[in-house]
Amino acid sequence: MANYIVKRILGALPVFFGITLLVFFLMNMAPATIADAAGGGEASSAVMRAALEANLGLDQPIPVRYVLWLKELLTGDLGLSYRTGQPVLRMIAQRVVPSLILTGTGVAAAVVIGIPLGVMAAWKPGSGWSRLAGGLTLLSYSAPGFFLCVLFIYCFSVVLGWFPAANMYSAGSGGGLGDLLLHLALPASVVCLSSLGNLVRQTASACGEVLGEDYIRTARAKGLPEWRVVWVHGFRTALLPVITTILNHIPHIIGGSLVVERIFGWPGMGSLLFTSVSSRDYTVIMGITAVIALAVLATGILMDIFYRMADPGVGWGGEAK
Amino acid sequence: MRKYTPARLAALALAAALMAVLFLSACGQQPQGETEPAGEKETPAVNVNYGISNPWDSLMPYYSVSGSNYSRIIYDKIYDRLAYVQADGTCLPRAAQSWESADDGYAILFHLDPKATFHDGTPVTAQHWADTITLVTNPACETLGRATFVGLAGTDETGAAVAGETLGVEAVDEATLKLTFTSPVLPEEFLVDKNRDIYVLPTHLLGDIPPEEMMTDDFWLSPVGSGPCKYVSEVSGSTLVLESNPDYQLGKPGFDTLTITVMDKSNLLTALIAGDLDYYAFGGSLSEENKPVAEQAGFQVLEGEVPNTFFELMINNETIASADLRHAIEKALDKELLCQQNSGTRGTTTSSSILPGTPYSSPETQGTYDPQGAKELLASAGYNGETYTLACTSQRANLAALVQQNLKDVGIQVEIETVDSATMFAGMYDGTYDLGLASHTPTTLPLWFTGERFAPDHNLFHVADLSHYTQLLSAIRSETQERARIDLVDEFEAYLNQEMPFVPLWFTHALHVQSNTVTGIDYPASACCNENVWQWEKKA
Repeated sequence: MANYIVKRILGALPVFFGITLLVFFLMNMAPATIADAAGGGEASSAVMRAALEANLGLDQPIPVRYVLWLKELLTGDLGLSYRTGQPVLRMIAQRVVPSLILTGTGVAAAVVIGIPLGVMAAWKPGSGWSRLAGGLTLLSYSAPGFFLCVLFIYCFSVVLGWFPAANMYSAGSGGGLGDLLLHLALPASVVCLSSLGNLVRQTASACGEVLGEDYIRTARAKGLPEWRVVWVHGFRTALLPVITTILNHIPHIIGGSLVVERIFGWPGMGSLLFTSVSSRDYTVIMGITAVIALAVLATGILMDIFYRMADPGVGWGGEAK
Repeated sequence: MRKYTPARLAALALAAALMAVLFLSACGQQPQGETEPAGEKETPAVNVNYGISNPWDSLMPYYSVSGSNYSRIIYDKIYDRLAYVQADGTCLPRAAQSWESADDGYAILFHLDPKATFHDGTPVTAQHWADTITLVTNPACETLGRATFVGLAGTDETGAAVAGETLGVEAVDEATLKLTFTSPVLPEEFLVDKNRDIYVLPTHLLGDIPPEEMMTDDFWLSPVGSGPCKYVSEVSGSTLVLESNPDYQLGKPGFDTLTITVMDKSNLLTALIAGDLDYYAFGGSLSEENKPVAEQAGFQVLEGEVPNTFFELMINNETIASADLRHAIEKALDKELLCQQNSGTRGTTTSSSILPGTPYSSPETQGTYDPQGAKELLASAGYNGETYTLACTSQRANLAALVQQNLKDVGIQVEIETVDSATMFAGMYDGTYDLGLASHTPTTLPLWFTGERFAPDHNLFHVADLSHYTQLLSAIRSETQERARIDLVDEFEAYLNQEMPFVPLWFTHALHVQSNTVTGIDYPASACCNENVWQWEKKA
């Protein structure tokens, strides 16, 4: 197993550098640099643009800039933000926890709601559960995140006044857990609803397939209670694709939710990415790219380990047959 | 031994993640909590929640990469400026109690307020101001704010101090600062133009930092200024917590803390209505269609008296080289209709970038909409049906469609490209686009718009021969007698009307939603990137 993990990590390294290389070059091919964005764009003279580009090292060729960035990355330094002059690592560190809290809670809630709902929908097709699952899936897939944000803010914040419409804490509240949960309710609900459709559909589809299998019929013939047949025998077998779906959310959890964070003024990675892209803050974009790429690759490795642990027949590779 | 099934592993992972989330959230304290003195909990802190739609840059005010008003409005709170500029261009005392012209108009004397102190208690002296300007103009200092000092004696065209020349800044005494320029400058005009970018730094605390490291030094992660608010904490680009400065020379702001949060523009008004914000930048401005929403929610909406937005159609004079063709474009545009569609009743069409109501503005201009005249000009210009590219931001997409329709009506083919602001200006700058729709915040200065657009190193409109523009601009700048200056400005405007390098469209007055919880806000002045926070009072 250890050999397998080492091999996978070594295999992931070129992919990681490939991703950073691609993003770096694509980013630099985009029109306008931070020097163009300066002063609202229109006010900077050629001399000032040149001075700014020289200050930020943008006057060097793109490959040189990539190598310099890579050198810094390998020393554990992501450089300084073009926009704020602050260390990128510090900026990302400030944003990871709020993103984990928001997206983690939203996805966790989606798992808690989505899996039972998916199982119920597969177990009792045509029932109220099934219709509820279908409705929620439709809403989740069809309603864009920004629309849900605005809708939730209007209903629960403006009209009902139950929840705050913005920020992570109430200013002056001291930042307690209760206050956080209150602020978390709306944005996390949007994240939850956005993730719910996929989870419900995956669970319902996997369970639906399994519940038609012979061994399920056998279990029923043995006189096992129906809930046990579904939840213990059926659901356990159907869990593998569901886990895949859940694990696929990990990069999303770390990378944050751009739209939701932006609208709710949540200080997470998504809003940092939005700001950085708008202002062409390449060092921060690259830092976030590196973090998300690592999360995606780590998730892939984690998923493979899960599969192999779940199904010993797949094996770790290299063992004697 | 227990077998680790996928279900068990998933459950464990989920439980661990939830535990971590709860642990982190319970451990995480709101930054502001750090400031509350232990044992003094009898009265809760009075906080003003302030929303802003874009983040600020570095908290080092001379290292603003974007150079945007979003950064300036933040610096305005932490650092002190010489004056407070109102929307109509009137300058009121701030760090300087008064000012006067000296040396036949080549110098300005600022008489500083002796009560001003830095947040560490050190009095602010003229020497601090002189040292700040000396630092920023030092070529070794990698500042991005040096252009502010272009024109100061002893500086080059970038604002950097020239070796061997005497820099035009002097601390005459403890409370008198003298700035000397290469050409005559009117004090009020200098302040309207430059005040928003000149701040005093605590140079007594910066002595150990080499100039080349000054801009990105850790000092600016927790800066000390002399403005009406003190720095408390920051989540860069997201949240900034400040506290009121009880020793501010113009008075203590009527709140304890000011929490500034970046949020999407679309949520500013709803957050205000929901009570999550007390006020938002700039001046609580809102669009015409949101006015009834705010009023129904119990907010008063007032219209600013001074126009705060100027709309223009940028033209690439290289690809649209014929003045007749540019005039045809202007005549084809139904400015009244465009203005009505975009700004409702708050707009005034214009044929000049000069702010209406100032001594330099021309009397009411006649409407220029003349499709038939446009067609005739097109014929005389030999327009061959070429398709031009019109760049605009997504907020102006509807307006661009109307412009496209207007131009199509006279036979000019236009295709629209919707891009972000930086791409649009970069595209105009490098000649990618032929036309561009933009808006700007005007000032009362006659050259606020044109002054920087006809320089050889910033020829945004790609004008082939700038010589007459630069001659006229130079003459206006060095003329200090108002009557003579007005005549020169008129001459320049006549030349602009003849050449039509860009099409001025209209000016708009802002709508300001009034805060229900904070009194004393001078809403229109936020257009000048300053806010009178020392006069704000949060209602109990």
